[in-house]
Amino acid sequence: MTTNAEEQELRERLNLIETMIAEGRRSTESWGWSFVLWGMAYYVAIAWATWGHSALAWPVTMIAAGVLTGIFASRNSGKNPETTIGRAILAIWMAMGISTFLIMLSLSLSGRMELHGAVAFIGAMLGTANAASSIVLKWKMQFACAVAWWAAGVVGAFTSDTVTSIVFLAAIFFCQIVFGVYGMIAEAREHRLHQRNQGASHA
Amino acid sequence: MPELPELNPVIHGKLRLALLSLLSGVEEAEFTWLRAKTGSTDGNLGAQLLKLEEAGYVTIEKKFVQRKPQTLYRMTEAGREALTEYVQALKQLLGAAIDA
Repeated sequence: MTTNAEEQELRERLNLIETMIAEGRRSTESWGWSFVLWGMAYYVAIAWATWGHSALAWPVTMIAAGVLTGIFASRNSGKNPETTIGRAILAIWMAMGISTFLIMLSLSLSGRMELHGAVAFIGAMLGTANAASSIVLKWKMQFACAVAWWAAGVVGAFTSDTVTSIVFLAAIFFCQIVFGVYGMIAEAREHRLHQRNQGASHA
Repeated sequence: MPELPELNPVIHGKLRLALLSLLSGVEEAEFTWLRAKTGSTDGNLGAQLLKLEEAGYVTIEKKFVQRKPQTLYRMTEAGREALTEYVQALKQLLGAAIDA
């Protein structure tokens, strides 16, 4: 016969299992900075290509942004164990990044790069990556970014060069810079909350 | 009346249970990360991990990363099965307690 004390003990074990599984899966990785970094990289590449008239603007800026992302990410990754969710998110963004880089580089080298097609393609790729990430992470705000990128891609197909450029610049601002800063604030808040909870549980 | 299940004594220890639960959510974990999450001492943590390794529930990999030693722990398939069975047994026992 199980007494009340034993029942309480069993419930504590069950709670311990649930808490520890959630703790292990809890991602403490910070990725808000990467959205800001890539947003700034897009602006640098656009400015360089527009005023510098250089075909190297996009490839060089994108490679530099990729290297910087790799360096910052490797510094952060040592602190946390790899989770299946983390690997899934990384896979989505790596696949998107490689696909976009190869296609944009090919179009640029072949001289077939065209504003409307490029914005439509980038909008579709970033929309897909943001949507997939948001579904995995159950993050509605990121899904809103996906919708904004898809909208930018679609609008770019129908409007003038000027409007397409403005829409693209606005999408970068809201979906990269603003969303990245929002992500950094949310991550810092969650980190503080987690530290407070850990302090309480260890007291 | 159905017979109540036995709880696996290897997993039943609180720290060992916490360690297996933590490892079930990640691919692999460092000793220092496990220590931070459980708030355990080095000696106790090492001893409990050794018991889990002897039972075949975790594997250990030692390597050097940037000249610093790193010990990585990974849950085995046997460990995952044992944890699942333990949770089922717990639920069964709690169900029996509620029915009583």
